[in-house]
Amino acid sequence: MSHHLFILSPSDTPIYNLTYSSTKPAPTTNSPLSSNLPTWSTSAFAGTLTALSGASSTTQHTTGGGVRIGGGQDRHVIQMIANASLDAIEDVMRKEGAMYLKSVDKFNEWTVSAFITPGNTKFVLLHEAKNDEGIKSFFYEVWELYVKTMLNPFHSNQQVIRSSTFDTRVRASAKKYL
Amino acid sequence: MDTHVFASLAQIRILLVPIGEIAQATFETYASEIRSFDALRLSDIAVEGNKDERARFQPKPLSAGHLHLNFPSHPPPHSHQPLSLIRPSHFPLAIIGITTCSRSESLPEILSQFNGTVLDMFPPTGLYPLARNCFVFEEGAVAGISSNQQHPNLIIFPENMGNRRLYVGTLLGEICSTIFGEFGVLIQRLESPLGNEYLNASLFPTLPALTDIPPSLEKKDSLPPIPSHNSQPEISKSALSKVAPSMKRNSSLGVPTVRKRISGIGAASSHGRLFKIMADFFLLAGRTEDAMIWYLEALQLLKSPLDSIWNASALEAMATIPILDAWSAGHGLQTSTSAAREPWADIADKLIQAAALYFKVSATDIENHQFLSYLYCCCILRHTSLLFAVWSAKGWGPLAFTTMLQPGPTPYLPPTLSHSESTTWANLERLSSMSGISRTAISSLLAQAHGPWLLHLGPRERVSVLEAIASTYSCLGYRRKESYILREVLGCILDLIVCGREEDAHINMQSLGNKGNVGIRLNESSDGNESILKLLKHVCKVLGVNLDAIQMVDVTSESSGQVEADEDADVYQEPFGWPELQVGVVRESVAVAEALPDFLAVAQYALSSLKTLQEFLEPGDQYHLYATAARAMQTARRRGSVKAVEYWSGRPVVSIALAPIPLIRLPIEKPLSALQPRTSDSNVILKKGGTDPFLYNPRRLNTSQGKPLVVQGETLEFVVILQNPYVFDLELQSLSLSTSGVPFETAPIPLVVPARSYHRVVLSGKARTTGSLVIRGCNVQAPGGVLREFVLPLATEEEEERLAHKRSAALCDAGRSKYSGLNSFPWEKSKSPNTETPRSCKTMLFLECKVVPEQPLLRIRRTTATHGALMLYDGEMTSIRITLENISPLPIDFVRLAFDDSTIIPAQQALAEGDMSVFETYETEYALIHRPVFSWNKNDSVTIGPGRKVTLTINCFGKVGCTEGTIHASYSYLNRNLPEGEPSSVFHTRQLSYPLMVTVYRMLESHGMDILPYPSYPMELESRYAKNNPQLFVEDKGAWCFFCLDVKNTYGTPFEVSIERVQEDVPWGESLVNVPPGSTSRLVIPLKKFLLSDEHVSKPIPTLSDRQFVVDKTKLSDAEQKIQRELFWYREELFKSLRCQWREAGGTRYGDLSLRQQRLTLTMLETLRTEKAGVQLSLMRSGDSKGIPIEQRLGKYHPPCDELVYIQVKVTNLTNTALVFTLDVHLDPHELVIHDGVLCNIPVGRLEAQESRELEVSVCFLCHGRFEILASARVLVGGSSSGTSSARLIAVVDANE
Repeated sequence: MSHHLFILSPSDTPIYNLTYSSTKPAPTTNSPLSSNLPTWSTSAFAGTLTALSGASSTTQHTTGGGVRIGGGQDRHVIQMIANASLDAIEDVMRKEGAMYLKSVDKFNEWTVSAFITPGNTKFVLLHEAKNDEGIKSFFYEVWELYVKTMLNPFHSNQQVIRSSTFDTRVRASAKKYL
Repeated sequence: MDTHVFASLAQIRILLVPIGEIAQATFETYASEIRSFDALRLSDIAVEGNKDERARFQPKPLSAGHLHLNFPSHPPPHSHQPLSLIRPSHFPLAIIGITTCSRSESLPEILSQFNGTVLDMFPPTGLYPLARNCFVFEEGAVAGISSNQQHPNLIIFPENMGNRRLYVGTLLGEICSTIFGEFGVLIQRLESPLGNEYLNASLFPTLPALTDIPPSLEKKDSLPPIPSHNSQPEISKSALSKVAPSMKRNSSLGVPTVRKRISGIGAASSHGRLFKIMADFFLLAGRTEDAMIWYLEALQLLKSPLDSIWNASALEAMATIPILDAWSAGHGLQTSTSAAREPWADIADKLIQAAALYFKVSATDIENHQFLSYLYCCCILRHTSLLFAVWSAKGWGPLAFTTMLQPGPTPYLPPTLSHSESTTWANLERLSSMSGISRTAISSLLAQAHGPWLLHLGPRERVSVLEAIASTYSCLGYRRKESYILREVLGCILDLIVCGREEDAHINMQSLGNKGNVGIRLNESSDGNESILKLLKHVCKVLGVNLDAIQMVDVTSESSGQVEADEDADVYQEPFGWPELQVGVVRESVAVAEALPDFLAVAQYALSSLKTLQEFLEPGDQYHLYATAARAMQTARRRGSVKAVEYWSGRPVVSIALAPIPLIRLPIEKPLSALQPRTSDSNVILKKGGTDPFLYNPRRLNTSQGKPLVVQGETLEFVVILQNPYVFDLELQSLSLSTSGVPFETAPIPLVVPARSYHRVVLSGKARTTGSLVIRGCNVQAPGGVLREFVLPLATEEEEERLAHKRSAALCDAGRSKYSGLNSFPWEKSKSPNTETPRSCKTMLFLECKVVPEQPLLRIRRTTATHGALMLYDGEMTSIRITLENISPLPIDFVRLAFDDSTIIPAQQALAEGDMSVFETYETEYALIHRPVFSWNKNDSVTIGPGRKVTLTINCFGKVGCTEGTIHASYSYLNRNLPEGEPSSVFHTRQLSYPLMVTVYRMLESHGMDILPYPSYPMELESRYAKNNPQLFVEDKGAWCFFCLDVKNTYGTPFEVSIERVQEDVPWGESLVNVPPGSTSRLVIPLKKFLLSDEHVSKPIPTLSDRQFVVDKTKLSDAEQKIQRELFWYREELFKSLRCQWREAGGTRYGDLSLRQQRLTLTMLETLRTEKAGVQLSLMRSGDSKGIPIEQRLGKYHPPCDELVYIQVKVTNLTNTALVFTLDVHLDPHELVIHDGVLCNIPVGRLEAQESRELEVSVCFLCHGRFEILASARVLVGGSSSGTSSARLIAVVDANE
């Protein structure tokens, strides 16, 4: 089961991202409708369409076996989904004051949870299974790490976080909670 | 195309198709007239009819319901036939052909065309359409078209029909009535056991064609023959009442007739599906109550055993009924609001149930996946459109119902969303709060429709479903989600285009046959390309890529003279958007534009993305985009495109500077007044920053003038720095200077700027006339692009300040996330009011040059200095000659020389510091003015014609410490014939410089200057020594002194040193000595003593530089000062009266030996100065022979012993004033002499000028021996006396007497 974390600056620019595969098995909620997909054509555009509709990830699941779960998903599509979910996040965020927006959006097989810092930086997590408490704890830890990074006077909230310490700690936190 | 209207299940589809050659506009006119009937009242439809099975679905008379019509523009694809029973509303139940006609004769043709079209659109085995009609509108007919003998399907509208609309309405009613009749027939077929078996045969059953059905077992029950379509069936009330009440009474019993037949056959299959179809037909017929009954019936049967698809479909249709009821019930004014649940909750529940059923079903057949997915998506979209309609209509109300029932081929946008400010957050949120439905709810529901199953759908349905999703997202204001879906739509459409083209190409190749290597270009249709590109731009804009950053410009149109100095290059810009996504979408857009193909768009997109996303693009991508753009532009040009791209690569020009003109060509502006002779012409060399125009001073050039001077008609060079931030070599088709002011002749150059670098290029040109030349910037043109001017204002203070202000404002804004998300894009931000006012062109300052008239040009043809070096001995005087040649067509009538050497600057600095004593100051100044290294004889009348030469002589003087010097020749053409009579106040000169290396050897060192009194002892003039050196011997020894100087030769060759006496009124004399290398020789020459007047001596030491307010820093007492001045003036006089020269022994070189290092001491001064009194001593005999001088031998007196003699002292006042003298006489040894009177302070008295007086002192020598008598005269001034001169006498007293 894979998770994708994106930290987005207020102008929607990713300043950090993480792909994490947890050892927990992914829930199999596939509809029979999404099996036995036909291949319509071999043109590049059909490929785009296939990827965007979420079909490629499913085929990866079926063909890749247990090892490659989540690894072969189209990165671009994941990013597109994360980007598209910002619509819902912004909407909810303006109406609710909460920082942790759990399962704020669902798209294809992905559930999107988000965390908004007071500085309008958004943590967007794409996950497949329900794990509200774990995700909440994960977000709070990432927030703490993020704040520590922001304390650096030479770091602005527009800059990409390249700190390896940050990365290591976020990974550790992901391992703990996700 | 298909629209996903909520109530589509209750709408009768009537397909409108154009027949024959009807213009599109005409068709649209008539079609819209027909489409205006979106609902028909049931009571309007003819009710009288027969009582057969056709009457079953006919409306009851006076019934209150409505029929809902829908007019699609396209038929469903043939592959949808399996849906014909489960979803009859999906198919057009009637088809209306629309055409125009002017002649009666063409009617059969129209009919055949119409039939052909219908056949083409619908498979022969299909159930639908149930009614087909062709509306023929008469246009421009000469005679009315008679309709009586025509086919019943043709309906003719006369041209000037009064109430055509009413007629159309009636006709539509008739058509619906026909459809209902056909429903009856269809149901009758299904009711038969065989029909029911067919119905239950598969998941998506179809009925075979009538002929394929085996003859029914119950032939006797078969109905009477089908009457013709236009005859109205009779419907008896009893027939209806027979069915309906029984159903109401006991729904579980079902329809008695049906029950009877089921029992008759043996009930092989359940009747659930049949009942569901019946209900569908009732729903279509507008009889919602009946439909509801039959649906409930059907659901009962479909649940066990579970027939999930049909069950779901029934649920879906049931959900439609309340909306229809609500709409027709007085257009659904909301009367009661139940607090507990929303009014649409029941409907929503049903739809959720249905969706779950669709989703869960496991289809074994691959074929069925397509329909399952389609039904599932439709169900989700139906649910969404329910919520969306309620949301957009601000709640449950008539507007919502209208939206849900909206027919028509185009999606309907309620007025709450169609105004201009509909997408603002406030508006959308208002809708949410009023309707109680949040946007997230709608969006999350809608997201369920999106999934891998979309791939099961046929392309048409897929596009339709995606379109519906995208437009809903758009209305919700979820632009990012919309763009996600739109990318899929684009992918879908492009896939179709590409595949379709491949097929076409294949077919074409086959039809053309194999013709060898002949390239075949097909004319691609470009219809619709624009819409796709528009979609593309929309998607890109949402992701933060502006594909219109580069505009396409018409080549032929004149480029507007707009000046925009966009300098955002150096202003910090916040990042925005998601770079990876941006790069991805850009790649895709270029691919889409290439696939269309639209070459201009390809170029535009590729270049736009290069410009806007330069920092994120990988090198590979940059190469690819650049190459693609170049290729696309070439193709577009080849195909005759007249458009070109704007210049795109940011701001290529970094700076422009005038390359410094070589010094030899540099014109210098001088005021004309500099030519006037000036009174105080000298000593300028001492003052730095003087106004002498001809002294070379490069620093003055920089400070004094702002505009560089350039010469008309001569090549100017400008250094332009270009930048290329990309990873590829940027090719520029042309680069030229953009100038204003005087005409400037320059040729554009092609250029390749290397990748990722700053590149320096030199642009040259000529100014045609005199005046001011303004360099505004550069004109740059990329290949295939249009010329673009980049102005480059000077970095003036204002400009810098403005830029700094802008930069700091940007920095200040950075990090403040006032605008977040989509609002952070620059084009959104710029909408905010506090935008900077654009700067006008007038405030910009540009590089400006002053073009001066043509100037002559000189060059140095030759010089006598070898290798530009000069080797001199210290003090050597020599000369060099320089030959100048005029190499211009203009004459030169003015030449001046100025010189510079390395000794000037240190001396000037020392003078400027002012730490030196007066004496040293004088020495330094003297050296600067009177002993320059170079000098020339100023000659005003030098004229050099074009091509002529002239030779100038320059005197050189060896000065120790000089290492280099420069000769500057300023020249000009002054007396030119000016075209206008305007006298200019300036003229221009050019300078020619000739640098010289100077080496000065110091070979003679003079030291030990001394001035000695001339010896008073007698010397024989006739002696041998005197003969050899006659110059050393003088008469009147008291008036002379000796000048001595030691000269040391430190050099390797011998020198002859001479010292000359050039005193006035004194015969010329010379002393000559040969100084061999390494030795020191002494030069001696007698010098006549002189006396300077008091006025002369008391003058202060002059300064040569006319400096004022020279404060003497050293505090000297008056006496000291007096001595200092005396020393100074006597020294000056001494040097004036001597000329010291050297000459190379056996050579030609000669020069001065400077005495200026020598110091004059006070003793020397005393010696040099003439005494004020002259004293002469003589010994006289006394007694009778008084007055007879005692005989003397060899200058010695021999007086007698013990005898009285007189010492006669003659004191002469040698000055020109009267003075009082005293006299001292000194005898030695005085104890052996007896004298008379006092010997000290013997008063002489006042002596007038040149007056003499004699005094006598009587003495007696008491023994033999040698006596010395010394008499010294002193001047008595104010009580004190000072010794001035003395005389000595030696007396030898011996026994020989």
